[in-house]
Amino acid sequence: MPSYELALVLRQLPRPELISVIRRTAESILDKGGIIRKLENLGSRALPHKVSEHGVVHREGTHFTIAFDTAPTKIADLKEEFGRDIDIIRRYIFKVEEPEQKQCTLHEEMLPPAYRKDVQEIVAAAQKKQKKKFNYNSGLDYYPFQK
Amino acid sequence: MLKLGKFLAQNATLVNLVGRQQLGAASRLYSAAPESSDSDLPIDITNPYEKDPQQCILCKHSIEPHYKNVKLLSQFQSPYTGRIYGRHITGLCKRRQEQVEQAILRAQQCLLMPGYHKDLDFLQDPKLFDPERPVRPHKY
Repeated sequence: MPSYELALVLRQLPRPELISVIRRTAESILDKGGIIRKLENLGSRALPHKVSEHGVVHREGTHFTIAFDTAPTKIADLKEEFGRDIDIIRRYIFKVEEPEQKQCTLHEEMLPPAYRKDVQEIVAAAQKKQKKKFNYNSGLDYYPFQK
Repeated sequence: MLKLGKFLAQNATLVNLVGRQQLGAASRLYSAAPESSDSDLPIDITNPYEKDPQQCILCKHSIEPHYKNVKLLSQFQSPYTGRIYGRHITGLCKRRQEQVEQAILRAQQCLLMPGYHKDLDFLQDPKLFDPERPVRPHKY
């Protein structure tokens, strides 16, 4: 099962109701055969702009993330279920990916254009497209094509 | 002053003597075996004057941009328009710039970060780069 992260923005609610909303979302993940790895509260604060959701304008919200594992086929169901919940302003499910170990390529990118690999590829592709030119010193003493 | 002069004089004579001896030895060697020595051939070593490869600021400190790290991400945003600065201004490598852009978009979707201005809490943050002096010139 791949790992996912659910980023929630909840409506401004008193604490007991907030707990019940989070419990509701967590239980819906568990009901679909998922595993919850981490619950993270990012606190409540003013939203960067007013958001209209479920017919109400919100100016404050509580940010919450749930890290969980579940089958990829269940993601659409979860999204649909969270979409119906009127206490949730925003819900996004992101796939958690391992950070890949790669070398910084800035050194090659800062080279002058003629030395950059991607530029060289572009030049080679452009040269391939060009029509072949007749070489006049090839031994023929006349031009073999129609002028 | 007098001492220094004396010292210099002594040294000079010494150097002269040594030089003469060495010169004599070299000339003798040269006359004895002119072809056998290959010490003046180029040595096969890596360039000792080559500079270290340049690294972008995120790769140097191995910082992985993440959408919840809003304080870092807002440093790559214009304080006037909220626009994400390009690679020619930020000086990041291609991969890190893509990661930063994706993380900023995610943070904006999740309402963690404003899109049309910089978060007021982070306005006084130290500047990682100067947008007035891009690495490559602007195209406009």
